[in-house]
Amino acid sequence: MKREAVSALLARRAFLRKIGGAAATCAGVGVAAGAAGLAQKALAKSEPAAGRGPVPGYDWSRHRWAFGVDATKCIGCLRCVEACKKENDVPGDAHHFRTWVERYVYLEGEERARIDSQQDPVNIAASGSEKEYRFANRYKDARVEKAFFVPKLCNHCTHPACVQVCPVGATYKTEDGAVLIDHNYCIGCRYCVQACPYGARFFNEEKNVSDKCTWCYHRITKGLQPACVDACPVGARVFGDRNDAQSPISLFIRNNRVQVLKPETGNAPNVFYVGIDREVS
Amino acid sequence: MPKHISRLLLLIAVLSVAGLAARWYFTAESFYQYGHYRGKAVVEVAAQEPVYQTARYCQSCHAERHAQWSANNHKTVNCEVCHGAAKGHPANGKLPIPADTRKLCTLCHEQMAERPRTQPQIDLAQHSSGQQCVVCHNPHSPKLAGVVAKVAGDAAAGANKHAASCASCHGADGISSNEAWPDLAGQHAAYLVRILGAYKSGAQIDIMMSSVAKTLSDGEIQDLAAYYAGLSCRSAPAKTRLGDPAAGMALAKNCAACHGETGVAGNPAWPSIAGQPSGYLVNALKAFRAGLRKDPTMAGVVRSLSDTDIANLATYYSAQSCRAAAQERK
Repeated sequence: MKREAVSALLARRAFLRKIGGAAATCAGVGVAAGAAGLAQKALAKSEPAAGRGPVPGYDWSRHRWAFGVDATKCIGCLRCVEACKKENDVPGDAHHFRTWVERYVYLEGEERARIDSQQDPVNIAASGSEKEYRFANRYKDARVEKAFFVPKLCNHCTHPACVQVCPVGATYKTEDGAVLIDHNYCIGCRYCVQACPYGARFFNEEKNVSDKCTWCYHRITKGLQPACVDACPVGARVFGDRNDAQSPISLFIRNNRVQVLKPETGNAPNVFYVGIDREVS
Repeated sequence: MPKHISRLLLLIAVLSVAGLAARWYFTAESFYQYGHYRGKAVVEVAAQEPVYQTARYCQSCHAERHAQWSANNHKTVNCEVCHGAAKGHPANGKLPIPADTRKLCTLCHEQMAERPRTQPQIDLAQHSSGQQCVVCHNPHSPKLAGVVAKVAGDAAAGANKHAASCASCHGADGISSNEAWPDLAGQHAAYLVRILGAYKSGAQIDIMMSSVAKTLSDGEIQDLAAYYAGLSCRSAPAKTRLGDPAAGMALAKNCAACHGETGVAGNPAWPSIAGQPSGYLVNALKAFRAGLRKDPTMAGVVRSLSDTDIANLATYYSAQSCRAAAQERK
């Protein structure tokens, strides 16, 4: 055999060895992952039925939370925003909100609504500080044809795009319907902030993680209402358990003609709106 | 088994173990317990402590205030909306009583086209001339008692009843003979109906008036109110100057929204106090301050008045003409 041919053969053997090794690794990991997954599923199934779920004293399989917003009642006082900021230690500036309120104003002769929220500079000037919230009376002397406020928050979608894009499993949907973020596991890549069609997520630079509304999961699992619902003086925010036919939210959905924001995205939101207009999305 | 096959199998076995070990090492605890996330993360979120404690928490100590609040129009505005979150209270000290109520109250009540019509709204430029809201409104019971009672009485019948039951104290023509009793001539009928009704029901108690009012029927109250409202008032000449009318005039700015600038009330639900005997005015204000006369609005207004302030106010109002300024000009 010629010298060149031998060396070519050796090189091919080395190459095949490498490929084989990689394949074996993949197979090994795959088999292992499958086995581990099965083992853990079996573990989860073996748990007792009573008090199911991770939170002690709270059975998440018995609840199906949902939220209602009646925009015809909202007076734009922004007490919900204030309560949410304090309750959840949201950074106290004009750029981070777990819930917010939008104002839609149609002036006479105008086709498009003028839209602002509490973080508009005019409204910050009216409140006097970025840590206080107030809608400036900026349309006092204008000829207003139609105007209203719309509270917004995370829709806790049934098919959340944000959960789908998370590369590390740091955001997830709980069995009782809340979409939550694991702040200890989030790597801060902000894919979820991009993916949410509602702009409900923001990046918390203080903690270097994505952040958003949890429906005050720490309150609802203790039998309380979310802080924004408690704070609302006019009942524009409704929260409850859809498994209970007499809960505020079940009555709200049954007694009103409700709609959700951007249904065409297929996220299937669980915040139901009454009294919003064509430009609200 | 050929050597190369056994080598391959050994390699697969070693790598499988290494893969499993790596997976065990890198997968967080409780991941996949409920799904593609850490099960423990849910517990961490749920473990957050509530900051807002709800009205029930406040009730355990502030039962009386809670009862008043929950019976009135602001019952949908929870305690912590105005007073701040109660976490750490009372251990960490008092919660604030809002100082700038003009700023706070107008968050909800400033007139805006964006707000639903059902929301009570005020035009800041027209309302209260820059005073704090709490001067007239009790935030826990915000609605003023200024409901204008209907008056459809017969003044002639009222005159007879007056002569029989009231004239001995309030004077033959509705002008009291005594410094301690109010003049009734020219008083707003709606106010008289309300206050007599309060004496009759026991909502308002007075050692003299309660027993008299209890004998009156609703019809007689209507008649009396119509009679007094039709009489012409007369300011009693001030016998003694209790205080300084100029100082009283400065204080009277806080009363003007309801009782008019010179004590002639623009709204018939509230009494005119111009020209009333100063002794009566002093007694009435002190009774409000002590809680003997009960009115949520007056209670708030008189809370901060000293005895000297009361004397000054009484002197100022008793010196005013009891006729409305407009009538004077005619």
